Amino acid sequence: MFNEKIVDPAELRHWGGKIELYWIYTSGEAGDRFFKALRDEGKFIAAKCKKCGRVYFPPRMYCEFDFSETEYQEISGKGRVRAYTVAWLDKDEKPLEKPEIYAIIDMEGTDGCMIHLLGEVEEDQVEIGMEVEPVLRDKSEREGTINDILYFKPS
Amino acid sequence: MEIHPNCKWNSSCFRGVMVMEVERISGLKFHKKQDVAIVGAGMTTFKRRLNETGKELSYLAVKQALEEAEMELSDIEMVVMGSAPDAFDGLHMKGEYLLDGSGGSDRPYMRVFVGGGTGVFAPIAGYWHVASGLADVCLVVCEEKMSSSHPHPQSAFKYIWDPILDRPLNPNLIWIFALEMNRYMHVHNIKHEDIALVSVKNKANALDHPCAQLAEKITVEDVLNSEPMALPVRRLDVSPPSDGAAALIMVAPHIARQITDNPVWVTGVGWALDTTMWTNRDLYFPRYVAEAAKMAYKMAHITDPRKEIDVAEPYDPFDYKELHHMEGLGLAKKGEAPILTREGVTARDGDLPCSPSGGLLGVGNPIAATMGVKACELYWQLAYRAGKRQVAKEVTTGVCQAWGDLMQVGTVVVMSNKR
Amino acid sequence: MAVGKKDISAPPYAEGTSLSDEDIKKKKVTYVEDHPNIRYSWTAGQAVSKFLNELKKGKIAATKCNKCRRIMVPPRVFCELCYKPIDEWVYVEDTGTVQTFSISYIDPDAKPLEEPVIVAVISIDGASKNMGIMHVLGEVKPEDVYIGMKVKAVWKPEDEREGSVTDIKYWKPLEG
Repeated sequence: MFNEKIVDPAELRHWGGKIELYWIYTSGEAGDRFFKALRDEGKFIAAKCKKCGRVYFPPRMYCEFDFSETEYQEISGKGRVRAYTVAWLDKDEKPLEKPEIYAIIDMEGTDGCMIHLLGEVEEDQVEIGMEVEPVLRDKSEREGTINDILYFKPS
Repeated sequence: MEIHPNCKWNSSCFRGVMVMEVERISGLKFHKKQDVAIVGAGMTTFKRRLNETGKELSYLAVKQALEEAEMELSDIEMVVMGSAPDAFDGLHMKGEYLLDGSGGSDRPYMRVFVGGGTGVFAPIAGYWHVASGLADVCLVVCEEKMSSSHPHPQSAFKYIWDPILDRPLNPNLIWIFALEMNRYMHVHNIKHEDIALVSVKNKANALDHPCAQLAEKITVEDVLNSEPMALPVRRLDVSPPSDGAAALIMVAPHIARQITDNPVWVTGVGWALDTTMWTNRDLYFPRYVAEAAKMAYKMAHITDPRKEIDVAEPYDPFDYKELHHMEGLGLAKKGEAPILTREGVTARDGDLPCSPSGGLLGVGNPIAATMGVKACELYWQLAYRAGKRQVAKEVTTGVCQAWGDLMQVGTVVVMSNKR
Repeated sequence: MAVGKKDISAPPYAEGTSLSDEDIKKKKVTYVEDHPNIRYSWTAGQAVSKFLNELKKGKIAATKCNKCRRIMVPPRVFCELCYKPIDEWVYVEDTGTVQTFSISYIDPDAKPLEEPVIVAVISIDGASKNMGIMHVLGEVKPEDVYIGMKVKAVWKPEDEREGSVTDIKYWKPLEG
């Protein structure tokens, strides 16, 4: 009957589709400075608030707590593992061939940190508080993105 | 059409066209705790693509607003962020992403969003914060970075269409405006020439706006001969996609007194949404705006908007939209807005200046951040701080309005420099 | 800061750093490009499933609310005005009236189309007034379309229909 509800699941329709957009994200004023220094000179830049002295890493053009300006300064790029996780699955929940270790790294001389891959170290050797240093991609291959850092290794 | 006696819908006849009209905002039971004043505003330049991230743009706009109000971030108690679809910036939870650049860290913070209507809806949400007494100082920030979306910012609009009923037809969002514009022109017998005058006026007004993206002196012929997009809409009938941000600071009366002798008061707010089934409505009249205006005017004790409003910033993403919205706002009778425009009434030196900022058509259309040319501009006009853009006549009361979603939402704010 | 009539200095604006397409192409600034592969499956629900299944049969199905007596297309399971379930399904005609139209020269990505598409809101005969759907027009020159024109659906051959709004190829002028 016409007025009846559809009960056969095969009659209930669904519609497949895809979001066909892609995005270009500019790094912004502070981000551009950071990535260009990393790409061109292999240097790490942080930003210090002129008012409260907080040092932001990755650098920012403003202090988020008092909205005053910041000044850029070079840092070593070394850091300490604050926390880490061992990933067995990729972003689509597919198993990885080899588990990857991701860490939050407190960057030396800053109040900031970054998330990156750990390398040249086995899972059972990683410790919280471990000192690490960045391993950069070869200069000719650097593109001015976060992947210009290959991984952090124990120092 | 038959009307059931119990149906609250009434039909009325206008120039032979049956329209459904409904009394929705029937009673306004709102007892505010305190009045709300605006004491500072700021905005960034609007450009097709800016290098700054959304956070950085928000920061720049807020910084200007704080400077104008002579305030520090520490004076801000709560923050409202307005930003349109995440698909433009390409970031989910854009509100959270933008938090630190909006000054929202460690504060009560919320994001509001009603598509294109956000630019005026965000100040409405700011008004709730202060009028309710929850906050004495509320910062309102709007941001949009449309340039991230590729292949074109318009591609992102594809995903506001119904995936099953509309999207298989490969629609472009411009279609919906073209359909509405054609209906509006047909019902009132309006010529494209008369509509193009809005584009000519607003783009010329924008010449005095330091943030303008598309300020230029053009003629009606330029509009009529510009590249066809979805007829009747041509290239110069449309505002451009932009990046930008804007900010406003709303405060309680005792704070306003410390900052300035002449704050601008928010005297009425209103918002309304019509059904999503836009193909089931007659598009010739923006009922959503009319309902929102009715609410705002009631709150502001305005009974004859045409007489009592001195300056208006109706939403103008398309030239016909300014006219359409003027009619929704009751600033013109149905079909009368093009006549007022032709007679120069809506010019900056006219009796009812409309879009003296240059509007979206001239300054740019970073969806939510158009707060900068609507709510912020109205504040600057009523505070006599609009500089070269200041309207010629003496002003006391003004209205700004935005619109968005699937021809659905009307958002209206009435301001006055008299309490 | 004294705000008031005497102080008419224009407020300050923040200057952003404008970039052109060329700047991006030449990598004047650093950026990240992301092409996510996100796929969706949208369920159509009771009303739209039935609507699509009926389209496959070459019929347009609508729903009726016995309170406000509206016959609604596209169909829905509830009347959004009376806020109650609909009462019955009815068929409506595959003819209608052009409520408004546009001649589109651009595709969804704002790229120019070789041949313009005529898009219209068509109020369907047999449904309540102003009950329209958006669709495209065919077999008509852009300059000959007018608001109020009577049109009729041109269906795909039955074996090509898949239960989609595109089972109607387009709407053509109704002669006579």
